[in-house]
Amino acid sequence: MTSVGVSHPRPDGLAKASGETVFAFDYEESGMLHGRLLRSPVPAGRIVRVDTKKAQAMPGVRAVVTAKDVPAVLAGWVLRDTPMFASKVVRYVGEPIAGVAADTLDQALCAVEAIELEIESTPAACSILDAIADGAPIIHPDVKSYQLSSGGEGGDYPRYGNIAAESATLSDPSAVTAEFARAHRVVEDVYTTQRQYQAYLEPKNAIGIYRGGRFIVHTGSQWPHNIRTRISQFFNTPLSTIRVKDHPYGGGFGGKLDYSVEPHALALSRACGGRPVKIVNTRHDDMLTAASREATHIKMRSALDASGDIIARDVECYMDNGAYTGEMSFLTCFPFHFSAINYRVRKLRAVGRLVYTNAAPTAAMRGVTGVPMYFALESHMDHIARELGVDRREYRLRHLFKSGDRMANGQTLGDADILRKQFDEINKLAPWEEAQSRKGKYRGIAISPAIWPTNPLPGSAVIKIQEDGSAVVLTGANDNGSGAVTTGVRQIVAEELGLPQEMVSATEPDTDFVGFDGGSQGQRTTVVAGGAALEAARDVGQKLRDLAGQLLQQSPSDIELVGGFARVRSHPDVRVSMATLGVTSTFGGGTLQGTGRGHIEPVAHDPGCASGLLAPLFNSPTYHVHFAEVEIDPTTGNVKVLRYIVAQEVGRMINPSSIGGQIQGGVAQGIGYALYESLRISPKTGEPLEKSLESYRLPLAVDIPRVEMIITEHPNPNGPFGAKGVAEAPILLPAAVIATAVSDAIGRPIHKLPVTPEDVLAAMADDPPGPSSHTRHQED
Amino acid sequence: MLVSATINGRQETFDALPQSTLMDALRNSMFLRGTKEGCREGECGACTVLVDGQPVDSCIYAAHAVNGRNVETIEGLRDDLSIRIKTAMVDAGGIQCGYCTPGIVVMVAALLRRHSSPDEETIRRALAGNICRCTGYSQIIDAVQLAIVKTP
Repeated sequence: MTSVGVSHPRPDGLAKASGETVFAFDYEESGMLHGRLLRSPVPAGRIVRVDTKKAQAMPGVRAVVTAKDVPAVLAGWVLRDTPMFASKVVRYVGEPIAGVAADTLDQALCAVEAIELEIESTPAACSILDAIADGAPIIHPDVKSYQLSSGGEGGDYPRYGNIAAESATLSDPSAVTAEFARAHRVVEDVYTTQRQYQAYLEPKNAIGIYRGGRFIVHTGSQWPHNIRTRISQFFNTPLSTIRVKDHPYGGGFGGKLDYSVEPHALALSRACGGRPVKIVNTRHDDMLTAASREATHIKMRSALDASGDIIARDVECYMDNGAYTGEMSFLTCFPFHFSAINYRVRKLRAVGRLVYTNAAPTAAMRGVTGVPMYFALESHMDHIARELGVDRREYRLRHLFKSGDRMANGQTLGDADILRKQFDEINKLAPWEEAQSRKGKYRGIAISPAIWPTNPLPGSAVIKIQEDGSAVVLTGANDNGSGAVTTGVRQIVAEELGLPQEMVSATEPDTDFVGFDGGSQGQRTTVVAGGAALEAARDVGQKLRDLAGQLLQQSPSDIELVGGFARVRSHPDVRVSMATLGVTSTFGGGTLQGTGRGHIEPVAHDPGCASGLLAPLFNSPTYHVHFAEVEIDPTTGNVKVLRYIVAQEVGRMINPSSIGGQIQGGVAQGIGYALYESLRISPKTGEPLEKSLESYRLPLAVDIPRVEMIITEHPNPNGPFGAKGVAEAPILLPAAVIATAVSDAIGRPIHKLPVTPEDVLAAMADDPPGPSSHTRHQED
Repeated sequence: MLVSATINGRQETFDALPQSTLMDALRNSMFLRGTKEGCREGECGACTVLVDGQPVDSCIYAAHAVNGRNVETIEGLRDDLSIRIKTAMVDAGGIQCGYCTPGIVVMVAALLRRHSSPDEETIRRALAGNICRCTGYSQIIDAVQLAIVKTP
């Protein structure tokens, strides 16, 4: 291997470091206008009047649009519940009501102010608990009749009242009740977690152009093909009329998977004769409408027998959906998966309920739903160990999954023994007993395991060989900064075609030119887009060997591609350069091309295990154990992370430097979630209390320790050169291990994230629970 | 109002409204778009430029305040030290999405012009006003240390 497994620097790095890269935010079109949206000032209300006459007459204004100017349809990733512009009612502060396009941004801002808007406020339910309370206002009275985006293929799922989606175990609940009745001990907890803003550094933005009957979009999206689908829904127009051109973008972390201002920019462009219209979020707009990680409210109860085995578990997880569903319906089954993961649980009853609230719609953020669930699960495991008087690490190891154990969905985990090895590896680096004995009064440690899947959405690739023998990979996949395309996919292709790195390039996605790709999500790009690129490289590689065979008068099966040459295996000096093959093929019979498709094979599971099982499987599962050591300042309540260790199974390393970067970066975001970050929604006004990066506290260079890493290679038979997904999972456990390490340090349980200094001081003022105290119900 | 300043070594004159920020003037009048907009409130550091050698958040710095002064943006940082910093950022893996990178390079250039070999704590403090959401900072610190090591 000359390319795969080697740390190659990013080929786009120097352009980024020099300020040459044109990000979506920087991109402009000739004759471009500036768009601005009028957004709802209230979380719930009836629109009485929207009068745009004055705005239309203002200087520089080229178009004003409202719901009347676009098809009267609803759109949505899973459920079609979302209008482009609100027409009768508004459901969150920030919901688009009208748009203006003008020659300058200042003119557009003034014209938005001139739109006369009359809204009659109605009662709002801005939090999970408000929305599930008796007598709560019903946010979507039509929830049952909304269409599924799939047209119903794949089955429907339960939804009612303010519950936008539900996923629940289908096995006999009386068996769980019976286990609780005979339990030696019952341990129960309630956990709450907060919204987390992805806080990508480049605010969302898009240019829309309606020209020649086509809807053209320039944007910075994690999933251009998803944007195309949404535009198709909103404008009721075939996919073939839409072109989405993706540009380099400044981070996404799940927040740029669905549309944001693309449809509105298109509606404005169509209203002013096809002039390009650019809409740019200010940071405040971006936080007002942030597609953040959902807040959760998790009740977790375990029944233990005399030996401490978990004979039953009962979990209820409420997830804050916000006003419209987006991707969240898919994730409603994640609480089910995560209720009985990593550790053996004999009988399970679990329900996830996605709750409509009068707040900005939540969405995927890195580690979707796993982050709050692992925090709850691991805190609960600590509670159980404390009740039993067993060491927390020891208790985990006793009940840890072994290879062959099954998840709640019936899927067998063939390689779960990796977890035990990772516990051992970490113990070599940071011996648990030693850390326990030497830790001072305000120091705590924690260790936790995790399993995480790879998003299986398919991808594709075309590789063309140019006149100079270089290869271009056309792919709908994009990088999101991870390097999965700019280094990973290129390395895979370079390895297969025996080309030096610099002779392989990859395109930016343009839906007119590339096949479908499932987007930069769920750590799928290296595995799926890389797999497609490998298949395409094999395809074109065979054609190169055929041609070389003709030129060298040898059998193609005796030809190998190495070091920029096609050469005879037994006589390496008999060779022809890739440049010769490139020029000969191009001007001989036409450009040589290869095609490839990528997907992940589904695994066997029990489809009848739960309702609403929209994401039924853990494809290509990866294994993780994290360790943290923290120190508390007893005067201020501040938490300092002294040491952080990640043991991660990666299949096979493609680019070690990129893997290190993904782990360090994912842990940093996880530490942010554990200790600082919270996008709070005011229960009164429905507005985010954090409106800027000044009050939304992100981790800084002075906060984050250097993460120690133990990488386990365990080649994946379904991944290119054995690769598995890497980038998403590092964020899963920091909240779990930091919260439990803080709990260890102060001798008090933690039931709420983030663990702020105020919370630490308040917890320290509580009486500590005794090691064998009577089980108690803890409510916030 | 007309503003005259030395921008990346050249005398430039541009028109700016009294309320215009230096960032908007650089991006929209000079087309120097390596200076990134992240927050418009001086929190993220993506818009960092040097005014008379001092790093400032150009998004909250008045454009007219640079009249008669010397402004350096990422595009103008072409000296050996700056090239070493940029190359080290690439080689050490300090770049992911890259949106914060120009601001970080400018900030590090300002740091290394003052201190030839700052320790890790000093580097971290110097970068405390530059938010990077992707990397978790370690490989950026590595890059600064690599640039120091490679200084002749």
